[in-house]
Amino acid sequence: MNYGKRIFLWIMLFWIGSAQVFAEPFVQGGPIGSQTSDGYDALGPVVEQPIEFPHNTHAGRMQINCMYCHTYARRSNVSGIPRLDKCMGCHNLIEGVKDRPRIKKLFEYWENKQPIPWKKVHDLPDFVRFNHERHIQRFYFQEKRPIRETCGYCHGDIASMTTARRVKALSMGWCVSCHQKDHLEKAGSTVTSHGPNDCWLCHK
Amino acid sequence: MSLSNLIQNWNSFRTRRPYEGQYEDAPYKWAMVIDLDSCIGCNACTVACYAENNLPVVGKERFGKGQAMHWIRIERYWGADEAKATEFPERGAEYLPMLCQQCEAAPCEPVCPVGATHHSPDGLNTQVYNRCVGSRYCSANCPYKVRYFNWWNYPDRAWPNPLELQLNPDVTVRSKGVMEKCTFCMQRLRAGMDKAKTEGRILADGEVLTACAQACPTSAITFGNWADKKSKVARMWKNQQVDLAKNSQEKSEEGIRGYRILEDLNTYPSVVYLERLRNLEA
Repeated sequence: MNYGKRIFLWIMLFWIGSAQVFAEPFVQGGPIGSQTSDGYDALGPVVEQPIEFPHNTHAGRMQINCMYCHTYARRSNVSGIPRLDKCMGCHNLIEGVKDRPRIKKLFEYWENKQPIPWKKVHDLPDFVRFNHERHIQRFYFQEKRPIRETCGYCHGDIASMTTARRVKALSMGWCVSCHQKDHLEKAGSTVTSHGPNDCWLCHK
Repeated sequence: MSLSNLIQNWNSFRTRRPYEGQYEDAPYKWAMVIDLDSCIGCNACTVACYAENNLPVVGKERFGKGQAMHWIRIERYWGADEAKATEFPERGAEYLPMLCQQCEAAPCEPVCPVGATHHSPDGLNTQVYNRCVGSRYCSANCPYKVRYFNWWNYPDRAWPNPLELQLNPDVTVRSKGVMEKCTFCMQRLRAGMDKAKTEGRILADGEVLTACAQACPTSAITFGNWADKKSKVARMWKNQQVDLAKNSQEKSEEGIRGYRILEDLNTYPSVVYLERLRNLEA
């Protein structure tokens, strides 16, 4: 390999490397099939849900906190998919939208006494333990970051989607890339720390 | 870790851990005390472990080949004096529950070619199943023989429907070609530590127990946080004059029973055994 080629390769390497380092921590997914700046599929596989649940209406336009429905996120490993009675608690009283096709479907499940068979979008392998509580407690309750940002680190901007799509890679390297970064310990402080990196924190 | 680095630092690696005051500022260091005088050899700990940690039952034939997957097993020994003292020599076995000793300088750790086993900050010797490639070097290097290899794909046959419903969802079901070992019930510890952290405290003594300690009918197994000097397990270590950082324990007087198995191999185990006492003349 001649000298010029080698220099060129180093420059290319640096360019690619710096793109990785300076990439935004989370970028909203683009159209299907495109890639995020960190090189993953912008949107995960299409999951067809029994009802096309409009996150953009609930979390986006209505500004409902994610944890109103995903209520376990603050106190458990899993965030939880709300039960049907959670939906009905509000929608029984919202007369204006009862004639919409998606709401009609909701009432159908309610009248048949059937749970809605939601499908899992953000699925992790069985040997991985991910704890919602730790992340929510730290970033939402302790640091008072907005809920849309806190959940968005891993879930992307769900408030702009209808049914949730996987935006982030949810791979180990991707988790570690955030855990290795220096984060401010508190808003406004200069002390930084990074996430834990012990194997058994996530592997079980 | 490169090979040259490994060879250069071999001596320091073997003597580095544990050092004085290693766990002084640490919130957790898990340790155990097993009182052999209380152990009646009932195997309840083993059964509890099978249930808690998704251990497959391998069957008689494979057990005979040494392929059993018991993370904690009851070893039986017949002391020479004791056998003479009774007219039924098969009776009077001494029982010794053997589980992973969670060594501070674990012989299994440096030999793993892929780094699937390492030491956690709370003093546990960990095994990462999906990283393991099944070289079985760790098992060969373990002086206690407490690492178990999945020779077969047990999930296929160990839990026929509907038995798979009793599997613990917090523990991986290991597949063929993977080494596994006692984790001190990491899933329980992790759940407890998470709860405590949200409440802004560290775990209280006895708040989380391993399955074996919980199941023991005679409370022979004491489990706890050694870094908390007021915990029962730390007090027992102190009263029994067992020092984590020493490889031989000097006792100030007779009758102090604490010892660690094969500690002269510089493994610095986290499990202390209390010697069995018997009055043979009675």
